Amino acid sequence: MPGKKSIKRYFVYFILLNIIVAGCYSSAEESSDVEHANIISVKDFRGKTLGFNKPAERVVCLIESALSGIYMLGAGEKVVGVPGDIYRNHLFFYYAQLDERIGNKELVSPGNWDFVSIEQVVGLESDLVIIWSSQTEAISALERFGIPVYAVMISSFEDVFKEIRDLGQILDRNGKADSLISYTRKKLQELEFKASESRIKSAYFMWAQGINETSGINSTVNELFWLAGLQNVCRLEQEHVTVSVEKIIDWNPEMIVMWNNEKLDPLDVTNNPLLQQINAVKNKMVFELPDPFLCDLWTLKFLFSVDLISQWSHQHPNQNSTDFEQIFKFFYGKSLETNEPEL
Amino acid sequence: MNRNYKIWAVFILPFPVLFGSLFIGASERVAFHDVFSILLPGNRLADPLIRTIILDIRLPRILLVFFTGGILSVSGAALQAIFRNPLVDPYILGLSSGAAFGAALGLTTAFLPVQLAAFIFGLVAVGLSHFMARKNGQVSIISLILAGIITNGIFTALLTIVQIWSDPFKLQSIVHWIMGNFQNADWDKFTLAIFPVVAGLIILFLLRWKLNVLALGDEEAASSGLNPTRLKIWILLAATLASSAAIAVSGIIGLYGLVIPHVVRMLFGVDNQRAVLYNLLIGGSFLVLIDNISRSVAGYEIPIGVFTMLIGAPFFIWLLKKSNIGWQQ
Repeated sequence: MPGKKSIKRYFVYFILLNIIVAGCYSSAEESSDVEHANIISVKDFRGKTLGFNKPAERVVCLIESALSGIYMLGAGEKVVGVPGDIYRNHLFFYYAQLDERIGNKELVSPGNWDFVSIEQVVGLESDLVIIWSSQTEAISALERFGIPVYAVMISSFEDVFKEIRDLGQILDRNGKADSLISYTRKKLQELEFKASESRIKSAYFMWAQGINETSGINSTVNELFWLAGLQNVCRLEQEHVTVSVEKIIDWNPEMIVMWNNEKLDPLDVTNNPLLQQINAVKNKMVFELPDPFLCDLWTLKFLFSVDLISQWSHQHPNQNSTDFEQIFKFFYGKSLETNEPEL
Repeated sequence: MNRNYKIWAVFILPFPVLFGSLFIGASERVAFHDVFSILLPGNRLADPLIRTIILDIRLPRILLVFFTGGILSVSGAALQAIFRNPLVDPYILGLSSGAAFGAALGLTTAFLPVQLAAFIFGLVAVGLSHFMARKNGQVSIISLILAGIITNGIFTALLTIVQIWSDPFKLQSIVHWIMGNFQNADWDKFTLAIFPVVAGLIILFLLRWKLNVLALGDEEAASSGLNPTRLKIWILLAATLASSAAIAVSGIIGLYGLVIPHVVRMLFGVDNQRAVLYNLLIGGSFLVLIDNISRSVAGYEIPIGVFTMLIGAPFFIWLLKKSNIGWQQ
């Protein structure tokens, strides 16, 4: 029978073993930065340099907005794996138009922004995986299997341009990437000119979770308002933040912009008794962005949102509505049916 | 069932469960015969891709799940014995909330590895409980349990702060981690967890006969020449350290360390000397089966903690109603 000393000894061994194991574990990933000359070299959003000897041909894209970018670049045929959420109803409606394989549900979805099936990705023999940079565990696992990972984190519209430029390089669509970027910048300049004439100066953004959920100054929402000639009333630094109704009343925005919301519409906000003293509610300046696919702030389609908000701030809700079809055709190379059928 | 048959069944159980689990996975490229052919000695002709999927993705996951389930069950049984309380599990000293806070910090900051942060903060939580319970050089079990509750509260509050500061993506990752999952299991994670887990198992196995004496009460233990307080602290720390190494790579798997020891007790009685091994084999095998469900029931992975809760909770209630759970059997 082990005595007291033996128990102590076992325990000391055990502690030492744990310390050794913990000490051996290092966060420093083995550097797989490119050392050899490659014909394509891009730096992803982690700051990691990826090198390719040839353009990627089998792409697993687990970010819906990046997938949208790939179709804009005309490289949809290189996609072999898609994020699971594109098979959800409203996104499926658009992607089925962009790719017959998606319409026939032939493209597998080995993951999403919250999980990745490493086994499925490895089985697809992909030469590029596009994934959010916050999915650190999945990235490490994929890189251990030697799969190049382009990690994305969109914090500004410049990041959207960078993503398109990088994907254009990796997928051998440089020309298309350049033309998409210059077209968007030109359109934004036109909108900037219009924005200076706006009478409305301040706005509050309301995410789909409810009136209390908004974005601060370090967000694409803030840029969205700025490009439309408005100031975001939420001056907090957080990208996503929950604020009290009292605070919103205090800020007293002249306009409220709602992200597409399945449960609420602008009328629900204007009828909310707590918000009656806000200028935006008094003047019925509450608007809802349409389908998230059309207004996605993490793609070049943010242009639509800027345009819409700019029009709302000028109180011309229907002006230039035909431009959308032209822009769509330019972005995707085909006319998209935008009126989703009743399900 | 005859007791001998039951014992044989428990010892044989892991083999078909572990082997059968190699056939289950998300990839459609792996055919039934591939698993057989790849495991046959001398077979070097198998497709390297299929070899990778079976040997580098499925196998480490299955083994990691087995040892995680095993150590949670063994730790749960050991702690129930020393506390003489059937409602105790390995998380009693704040391990789960400390590890969850550590993981959340790791997920929201770039410089802290998730597993290491979970492991360290799990231990910090247990150390804090021990420190708070310590008075005049002595640690009473009641003080320790109360300190564990307070530590749980502190780290849950800290976790909430991290969640509030996180963006929605990271928040989702935190929630997934808290619910437990093995989707990114590989040999690195297995290697990271296995040494502390096996070390903990060895210590608990060597002390298994003393668990029976401790379960009789402190006076009886003292009359047998043991120092019950000191022995309890050693067992407690060994179980907690080993569990923290497991949950650092798996996330929090709720109810498991509570339910499986009851199942073992129901099947084999309250003999802790044997229960250590039975808990390892049954706990490990059953978690592998649950993980098979979590990775195959839908087209995507569902956190394993969801199933341990959904299966464990009604099963536990059924056990409560059916039998006198505790030490009466």
